[in-house]
Amino acid sequence: MLRPVPPPSVPMPPGGVGPDRRRPGRRRVRSPLAWVRRGGLTTLAFGLPIIVMFAVFSWWPIVRSVAMSVQKTNFIVTEWVGWSNFERVLADPMLGKAVWNTVQFTAWSVVIGFPVPVLVAVVIAELRRARGFASALAYLPVIVPPVVAVLLWRALYDPSPQGALNSVMGWLGIPPAAWLNNADIAIPAIVVEMTWASFGSATIIYLATLMTIRTELYEAAELDGASILGRVWHVTLPQMRGILLIMFLLQILSVFQLFTEPWVMTGGGPANGTLTVMILIYRYAFVAGDYGRATALSLLLAVALGILSAVYLAATRRWSRT
Amino acid sequence: MKQIRSRALLGAVVAALAATSLAACGGDEKTPADGDKSGSPAAGDQKVTISVSDYPSTENADARAAFERQAEAFQELYPNITIEPTETAYQADTIQALIAGGTMPTTLLIPFTDIGRMMELDQVADLTDYAANSEALSNLNPSVAKIATDSSGRIRGVPYSAYTMALLYNRSLFTEAGLDPDAPPTTWEEVRAAAKTLTEKTDAQGFELMTMENTGGWMLTNMSYAFGGKPINDEGTESTVNNPGTKAALEFYRAIRWDDNAMGDNFLVNWGDQANDFASGKTAMTVFGADAYNRFITNLGMSKDDYGVAPLPQGTGGLGALGGGGVLVVNPASTPEQIDAAVKWAEFYWLAPYIDQERAVQRAKDDLAAGTPVGAPGLPIVNAAQYEKYLGWIAEYIDVPRENYTLYTSTVETLPIVPEPSVAGQEIYAALDPVVQEVLTNRDADIDKLLADAQVAVQAILDAAQ
Repeated sequence: MLRPVPPPSVPMPPGGVGPDRRRPGRRRVRSPLAWVRRGGLTTLAFGLPIIVMFAVFSWWPIVRSVAMSVQKTNFIVTEWVGWSNFERVLADPMLGKAVWNTVQFTAWSVVIGFPVPVLVAVVIAELRRARGFASALAYLPVIVPPVVAVLLWRALYDPSPQGALNSVMGWLGIPPAAWLNNADIAIPAIVVEMTWASFGSATIIYLATLMTIRTELYEAAELDGASILGRVWHVTLPQMRGILLIMFLLQILSVFQLFTEPWVMTGGGPANGTLTVMILIYRYAFVAGDYGRATALSLLLAVALGILSAVYLAATRRWSRT
Repeated sequence: MKQIRSRALLGAVVAALAATSLAACGGDEKTPADGDKSGSPAAGDQKVTISVSDYPSTENADARAAFERQAEAFQELYPNITIEPTETAYQADTIQALIAGGTMPTTLLIPFTDIGRMMELDQVADLTDYAANSEALSNLNPSVAKIATDSSGRIRGVPYSAYTMALLYNRSLFTEAGLDPDAPPTTWEEVRAAAKTLTEKTDAQGFELMTMENTGGWMLTNMSYAFGGKPINDEGTESTVNNPGTKAALEFYRAIRWDDNAMGDNFLVNWGDQANDFASGKTAMTVFGADAYNRFITNLGMSKDDYGVAPLPQGTGGLGALGGGGVLVVNPASTPEQIDAAVKWAEFYWLAPYIDQERAVQRAKDDLAAGTPVGAPGLPIVNAAQYEKYLGWIAEYIDVPRENYTLYTSTVETLPIVPEPSVAGQEIYAALDPVVQEVLTNRDADIDKLLADAQVAVQAILDAAQ
């Protein structure tokens, strides 16, 4: 099926420089015929598989879930119910609890989870030897399947005095903690697990950014008498701010959609102490069989995160220019 | 979508037809449905194919071969019916995708815990008309048959196994602690005392109960029954969570946890954790389904001599023990001929072995060959007299020390089975999980306030389900 590439429909002199060369900055209006003649169909044919994949597995489910949020369905018979799913979501006393817990998860993940990969990346970048080994080591937890990692930490957090962490604390003379059984400790404890499991990916991204910082900047700072911390503060961090701002937003977006870790570790307990918005959605869908309400809350979450992202990007636009 | 709608319409027509027949509720189902419909609504010799779930996987070659033998025998008996086995099995979070995708097998085995919701959502076919003339179905233990009967008295499934909640205890740990394994606790005070002794004299924790992923609410419902309360009324219209029985149950939780310190340190326990803890001897006593013998002995490697089952103790005014089990349901999008064939299959595969001596012996042999215990304690799905007869037929194949369960098996007929909440069971359990967790993790938990709040939450669930 290989065919020779047809010659360009508009003959151009060698070098491509000519009187009718497309001028930048001016939009050309193309007729469909011209598009076809320029090989548009070939482009389309190449693009089609991925378009179909997206349409079937991504866009169509989105359309369906928007529709489902105003429906009542058992997947056999479907009826339209207007806004009532949204009303029931907003009237649920658990919603406030779930949102508040999710905000706490996010806050803890910003406090614990955000600085760790930055620090690790800066330290690895400063290493003179074994930099590759160190970054591989940092990345290692990422390759552990999430549920396995969560179950591992669940065992570490065994609340009995013989539990792994409690034993270590016992050697230091610290009384055993209830860990996940204590609603006040459970959220930060889960955030520690999440940080351990995922800081490797962020570290790799930060390391890549650090490698692009021009060494002259450091040399100049050194000539100006800056200490190591001074160089990090005045050169490294400002040079990384674009990626830091994006990673910050991505982290908030992902923690707001937190499900696996609290679901496997605590099931949302104790006493709803780690109930997140996503767990609530799961309960609506798979405990209550109420898919309309589940999709309604999913949409609300998506809209809230969309607004949050827009506000964040607008507010930080000035800083993110490098 | 169009096809699904028209199938739903067909289902509605079938249901309307069926509505003209008897409104049986576990009672005498031998009455012929309609004069002209002797046998079933479907014609007898039309070719029909049904897909059947829970085909054992290839790793389980013996069980798979046994299944195939049964399917062949069935097809010899009914040459017009073709059985198409599929390994598809019920899972709470994939069942909706099966239904939505139209790939739910014609017959599917589901737990009692979920039949309520699927009946409410109309996701299972109405079998009333097809079951009306079934001899095997009319021999069902009526209290078991009731589980798969909906609020309008329609039969929506064929129960094939059943159990009641029981007190499970580890016989060797009892011996180690100086307790008599043949005299398990029969009151909740004795459970507390035994748990305390076991905690003090062995490495195990005395007692444990499930608390998360809806099992906390499930267990609290069972404990409420044992102390004389129910979370909702029988009609499923009113929340009754705030009742003296449930309060007494929670007081029991509080006492054995905080006063006796006999429940260990972890109170985030799901079904799997509980099974592992009991099988490994980490926990000496728990409340669990009495049919779990196979799970503990075959799957988790517990010694059969350690496994003890006692009837669920009853507090003042105790109502009985929560019952559960499995039920075969039929895809509501099936044709009438398929539904008819599905009911015949359910009868043949699941019920006939209790009624037909030859089949009983064959099943026992197959089970032994496949490593499935024969004669494990549980709740008979046929009436007591029939069950005794059945045990007689298979006596030489029984490989389970039934003498260890005499107290359980001798009282299982007298201890009432209380079914799970008829409406929104799983949702109610989810609402009760936090109550249990709060009492077990917070010494100062205000039980009255927790119950008052849960009462409101459960009422909201019931209102939404109406």
